[in-house]
Amino acid sequence: MITLDSIHKSFRNHTALENLCLKVASGDIYGLLGANGAGKSTTLNLVLGFLQADSGTIHMTHPEHDSTITSNEIGYIPENVQLYPYLSGLENLEYFCTLAGRTYSQIELSNFLTTCGLQREAHEQRTSEYSKGMRQKVGIAIAMAKQAKVYLLDEPASGLDPLASNELSTLLKNLAADGAAILMASHDLFRVRETCTRIGILKRGRLVKEILSNDVTSKELEDIYLNFMKD
Amino acid sequence: MIHIFVNEWRGFIRNRVIRYLSLFFLFSLFSVSWLGIVQNNKQMDAQKHAHEHIRAQWDAMEPSNPHRAAHFGSYAFKPISILNSIDEGINAVTGNVLRLEGHTQNEIVYSEASQSLSMSKFGKVKPSLLFQFLIPLFLIFLSFNTYISERESSRLRLLVIQGATIPRVIFAKVMSIWSIGCVLLLLTTCVQLMFNYQNLDREILSRLFLLISCYGLYYLVLINLTISLSLWFKNATASLSVMTVIWVSWTIFLPKITGNAVEQLIPLPNRIEFQASMTADREKGLDGHNPSDERKKKLEEETLKKYNVEELTDLPINFAGIVMQADEEYGNKVWDKHFGALYQQLGRQKNIIQYGGLINPFSATHSLSMGTAGTDMFHHLEFLRQAERYRRVFIKTLNDEYAFGGAKTGERGWKADTEFFQSVKDFTYQQPKISNLASKYILDFLALLFWFAVSSLSLHISSKKASVL
Repeated sequence: MITLDSIHKSFRNHTALENLCLKVASGDIYGLLGANGAGKSTTLNLVLGFLQADSGTIHMTHPEHDSTITSNEIGYIPENVQLYPYLSGLENLEYFCTLAGRTYSQIELSNFLTTCGLQREAHEQRTSEYSKGMRQKVGIAIAMAKQAKVYLLDEPASGLDPLASNELSTLLKNLAADGAAILMASHDLFRVRETCTRIGILKRGRLVKEILSNDVTSKELEDIYLNFMKD
Repeated sequence: MIHIFVNEWRGFIRNRVIRYLSLFFLFSLFSVSWLGIVQNNKQMDAQKHAHEHIRAQWDAMEPSNPHRAAHFGSYAFKPISILNSIDEGINAVTGNVLRLEGHTQNEIVYSEASQSLSMSKFGKVKPSLLFQFLIPLFLIFLSFNTYISERESSRLRLLVIQGATIPRVIFAKVMSIWSIGCVLLLLTTCVQLMFNYQNLDREILSRLFLLISCYGLYYLVLINLTISLSLWFKNATASLSVMTVIWVSWTIFLPKITGNAVEQLIPLPNRIEFQASMTADREKGLDGHNPSDERKKKLEEETLKKYNVEELTDLPINFAGIVMQADEEYGNKVWDKHFGALYQQLGRQKNIIQYGGLINPFSATHSLSMGTAGTDMFHHLEFLRQAERYRRVFIKTLNDEYAFGGAKTGERGWKADTEFFQSVKDFTYQQPKISNLASKYILDFLALLFWFAVSSLSLHISSKKASVL
């Protein structure tokens, strides 16, 4: 479970986040919506530990035994996954897994990539020849291979074609079904509505609305979002 | 850490530009080392041949007057160190043949530069040129962007979230780039070992090890500083620009500025002044008193008294030989006074330049490179000292034979036999052991260590402060 309690973060005179409270239970996929500069990436960076909050607390705990989740159990997919261009998809995955202290056979690694939708022919190809979507899939495979309990995704569907985007949704749902807590930041209202269980709208660093995605249609979500953005 | 290191190497090997550049350096180092060794061996052979020829002439000398033989003289050849093929230091300009004769202390002549074509007058391409100029540049180019590219591409976030820490990432990158420098250094060592295996001994191996270690330490300083600058500036272009300016200052401007400043602070007499004051001392006496005629008169009185005779013709020995030796010994005192002062000045100049290592690690590395290769000023002065020591013994042997070998005063036609000339020992230069000269290079080594500590500290602080974002 991810818990953000009364988080405040400012950069010089600019308040990036103000009294942010947010909970993502295991099995939940929480979608953070907001305009550019609303604080979505700042929130993710705080959870990742790349930034320190001015005040407030962030906890990540196992649902079963309430112990703290370590960085080794966090999967992260940036908006633009940059891999080592001189390595193949398989080699990249192997390298990042090794760093995380996990060793898999070539078949297992290949299976991760396939599960993430990367075609088998591309596994041995150098990633310098990959499209953004292909790199994104390797990024997801890296997070998956970690068997993370918490996933943090920054615009994960950005640059993906509709099919790949749909596959990503399915993948995330499967991960959530396995008990992972997923927090993703996105601009894509439709994808968020399709993928997430809960949606939060951030505006100038404040969480202005939380919605259960089952309670709204895509059209209603768009109306709510635009309504908030107008003010 | 080891995984990042291995991955970096995979990157180097698979990067076409780095691969070709490394191949270029490997080829250059191999060919330059090989050419250096060939040139060295050729020079050593030529010297050996000339030395044997001179000695054969001496040994075949017909019975003659020892004083005539003193004028015939001999030659001391400055031996070329095996490591001259890596760094020829000042050898190209100092000359390598010294004529040894009575009455006169000659200057060393026949420098390579004085005999070379204009193209090679300014020194040959030796591995030291690549070690000091090209490889450092290559390492700077590999270092300036290594961390920034990880951060700017967001790969650093992935690395950190996968469990790597920023200091570890940086350390692995420093080590991987440094290891490229080390590979190039080791290749040169291998070439030396391969082509010189017959001439290798513990001393040469120790010197080679020290030479390579000094360059290794210098490369570490450069890489530490370059990456450290990229962390401070958070910008690859800025770090490259600053590091290039630093590198140009270290290698081009500072050595010249230091050299000029030292010449101003501790000026050396020019050659004409120096020779004139030596000649004056020789004629007028060391302190302006006791000129040569007075000295001769006094010596005559002392000798007559010693042998208890009234006239020189009554002496059982040849007074001319005693006069020659006394004159020689006086000349030696003059030499000691002037050259002693000159060597002291040179030593002080070198000392200041060594202190300059504290602001310029290149200068310390340069000095250590020449020192360990045995081609610097200390080694050159040591050769001159040994040659002069030999000259004194050589001339004294001839003068003593002339005085006490059987000739009487006034017997100008007296001749020593060939056997005597053959019994005169030849000059053999004893290359000083690096352990005996270690104290001379302490300042350079400390300066390099100081820079290593400063650059490591700078890298440590900047890596602690570095952020993932």
